Amino acid sequence: MVLARWWRTRIPRYRLIGAQCKSCGRAHYPPRKACPYCGSTELEQVMLPRRGILESYTVVQSIPGDTRFQAPIIVGLVRLENGVRLVAELTDVQPEELKLGLEVEATMRRIREDGDNGTIMYGLKFRPVLGKS
Amino acid sequence: MVYVSRVGMVKIGRHYEKSPRDLAFEAVREALADADIDSIDYLVVASSLTYMQSPQLDLAAYIASSLGLPVKSALAVEAGENSGLAAIEVAVNLIRSHAAEKVLVVGVDKLTDYPSGPTYEMLEALYDTESDAIYRIGHAAPLAMLMRIYMEKYGVDRNTLAYWPAMMHAHAKENPYAMLRFAIKPEKVATAMPIADPITLLDAYPLGDGAAAVLLTSEDQVGDHLARIKEVAGAVGMPSIALREDPLMLEHVAKLSNELNLSEEKVDIIELHDNFTIMGLLLLESLGLAPRGKAAELVATGYFDVDGEGPLVNASGGLKARGHPIGATGVYMVAEVALQLAGKFPGVKRPGAEKGLAVGINAHGSSTRIVVMESV
Repeated sequence: MVLARWWRTRIPRYRLIGAQCKSCGRAHYPPRKACPYCGSTELEQVMLPRRGILESYTVVQSIPGDTRFQAPIIVGLVRLENGVRLVAELTDVQPEELKLGLEVEATMRRIREDGDNGTIMYGLKFRPVLGKS
Repeated sequence: MVYVSRVGMVKIGRHYEKSPRDLAFEAVREALADADIDSIDYLVVASSLTYMQSPQLDLAAYIASSLGLPVKSALAVEAGENSGLAAIEVAVNLIRSHAAEKVLVVGVDKLTDYPSGPTYEMLEALYDTESDAIYRIGHAAPLAMLMRIYMEKYGVDRNTLAYWPAMMHAHAKENPYAMLRFAIKPEKVATAMPIADPITLLDAYPLGDGAAAVLLTSEDQVGDHLARIKEVAGAVGMPSIALREDPLMLEHVAKLSNELNLSEEKVDIIELHDNFTIMGLLLLESLGLAPRGKAAELVATGYFDVDGEGPLVNASGGLKARGHPIGATGVYMVAEVALQLAGKFPGVKRPGAEKGLAVGINAHGSSTRIVVMESV
């Protein structure tokens, strides 16, 4: 049932493409049809920087869905180098290594599976920049 | 003028043997038990998870036809966790526009029909499924991240935040309709089972089923009324905490509060949306009822409690301990505030209360609604 939605959102999920507003100059992610800040529809798609810092994080123990994905799932609020913020899963990091301000970078990973025989959804997660954790 | 004439509530809990329709029936029967009502102009149903679970479409019509009471027309309203107050808003406007005189609002949702994992997955859809909820954020992750920022930015320690759930449980203990009717000690909150750290089980609302009903009328049809609805107003917020200028400020709530002059007028009673501890505090600050970064301390020192100087907040026990059957919660809030204003709330109360608020949001604040009520 979710296949069509996964497919439609694939490009910004794979490539970290955001939208920059030509009117107010602010960028956001994922790209929307109208600027969430000023409402302008004059937007252009831009590649966002792949690095940023962790402004907040949480280790999720109350796992949504069935049990095939094991706890914990780590979710972060990432501020990219150009100031754009996004919520994303973190990977390649242990809960005890997490700290505010941690430098992270985008990497392609498996995000969800639609049952045992269904589609696998990929997308960008964030991991600590090597040597910075 | 729109009046709250009658209210009915089902004790929130694990009603495995009852369907949404059964729960709605009970709430309506309690509401109309002593009302001289032979028909309803409009039934407005608030529900959210039902559409993902049962599933049942045209829910309002099927509930209407099972009440044993003539209902002219029925529709359902869905606005996630804000569904209940959205239904109240629609009902008030039906009366104000003279489309109806007797409107019954019923909120109902079940959270125990599935194991918790699938339920958390359904609740994930309260967030934006085209951005944040692409990831497995569950029902708590965005608010857990706000809680961490709050503690860091204002230097508030974990144990100060624990007074919120302690106050909620103390209130729920006295409310016969509450799900969690027991007291907890603040020092137990930090070490309870983690949900999404720093949120623990004792910061989070329980998964429970419930239904509440409110009869709104245009004039003196039923004789005595419980309260009067002065204003209902809604606003839409940012779709993600990542897009807010300041993640800790719900700008649309602050704007609405200003428009309604809430920080200047004396408010006696508030039922507000504390799906998790942090949201209760952020709402008090965004509404202008507590200074930024100070709500936790004010709660810890009893400012919002029954004997405090401030308004009495969540005398019901709040989402935390009264419970939070998602789409139904706003209807509980309006019922509770109306009972407080009539001096008939069967729990912790503030005698002589004249003005009350019900404040609801969805998720991190994708939308909000505020209902301003007065005693009659």
